[in-house]
Amino acid sequence: MNIKEYIESGILEAYVLGALTEQERASVEADMVMYPELANEVAAIEAAMQSFAEANAEEPPAHMQQQIWNAIQQSATQSVSEPQSVQEPKQQPKVVEIAPPVRPTWQRAAVWAAVAVSVLTNFMLLSQRNKTKDEIAQMTSQMDSLKASQQQVLAEYKKGRDMLVDTAMKTVVMRSTQTGKEMTGMMFWSKTTGESYLTIHTMPMPEKGKQYQLWVIQDGKPVSMGVIDNNLVANAGMMYKIPMHVKGGQAFAISLEKEGGNPTPTEVMAVGAI
Amino acid sequence: MAPVLTYSEEELVLLLRQQSQDAFSYLYKNYAGVLYGVIRKVVTDEQTAQDVLQDVFVKVWNNIGQYNTEKGRIYTWMINIARNAAIDKLRSKGEIMKSKIHSGEDAVYNVQKGMKTEQSTDTIGLKEAVADLKPEYQTIVNLAYFKGFTLDEIAKTLDIPLGTVKTRMRAAMQSLREYYNSN
Repeated sequence: MNIKEYIESGILEAYVLGALTEQERASVEADMVMYPELANEVAAIEAAMQSFAEANAEEPPAHMQQQIWNAIQQSATQSVSEPQSVQEPKQQPKVVEIAPPVRPTWQRAAVWAAVAVSVLTNFMLLSQRNKTKDEIAQMTSQMDSLKASQQQVLAEYKKGRDMLVDTAMKTVVMRSTQTGKEMTGMMFWSKTTGESYLTIHTMPMPEKGKQYQLWVIQDGKPVSMGVIDNNLVANAGMMYKIPMHVKGGQAFAISLEKEGGNPTPTEVMAVGAI
Repeated sequence: MAPVLTYSEEELVLLLRQQSQDAFSYLYKNYAGVLYGVIRKVVTDEQTAQDVLQDVFVKVWNNIGQYNTEKGRIYTWMINIARNAAIDKLRSKGEIMKSKIHSGEDAVYNVQKGMKTEQSTDTIGLKEAVADLKPEYQTIVNLAYFKGFTLDEIAKTLDIPLGTVKTRMRAAMQSLREYYNSN
């Protein structure tokens, strides 16, 4: 087969653009297995279409994320048949007639006296309350603004506290492996759920074209947990949830890599044993 | 908030196979825009496009176990799921048959007009990208990629030889590649 002619015919473009029939597609795929040059060419065309798709990106409405997650969960439970809820027949409440009791006159007078006292007390309380109303309003508004400003701090604190209370949550401090450079990061990791949070304490901003990458060491092998955004390095002390769940490991580590990360760590900066 | 951690192709597959809500959030934040953009190029109606987007995510989610890394990039796999789902929807609505029934000048005119209106709402990036694409190249890419026409159907619709369709496809993709490589 003349590979050059094959490539120049445009059939690979037609393949990527989805313009081939089922049969033609199968034959191109078979050829790609035989000739890596064809597979490489297809990858290059696909990369261009990816860039094209990215240039066309359009954010769907904000409510879609929750809606889709609900749909995903529904699709997962659909196969499990829901138990039929047994309808209990509604019972009619029994009606019991109560005859109005007849009260003597002295009892009525006592009731009226009690009502009068109550009204007087209420009036006194009301006027007292009016006096303090302004003060209360002032305090409430102060409280509100305090509450609002504290809410963020509280949320952060609560996250941390919940993690400390959770006995399954481990705290792993990653310390610098480079002499003379002070670098620390912290991992909070729950063995039961696999969830983890990362806090960078002190890490220098990586030079241009470089990024930090987070690892978990499992049976002596480093497994990537993702490349760390430089924003996180800039916002030291903030806690971030790691999307990737971790079921086990012996240590967490941070390494310095080229932008976008590497399959294995090149320069380890900080390590903490679990 | 911008994603804090980013994942390579292989890592993304592992992440999705964990099937957690965190994994979904990552997937959605990073890919919903691109997938929705592709869908919207196929079906213009917003409500329909949103329905398709939901189906696409459910499909990606439930089929990640069957996805094979050797068969190509997961990114391409997801884009193709989105494109195919959108085209299926278009077909089920009978819109595509309408455009296929048209022939000759009329179809070319409609298609080009369609491309033009779409372009006017496009992002600046795309406008630049297709600025170099000749109209006849744009038409062919649009018919194939976003309307699901086969080579044969494109040739008949535009009334040009099959070989010309393929050479134009090649030329169109070459200029797109050149554009994205130099940017």
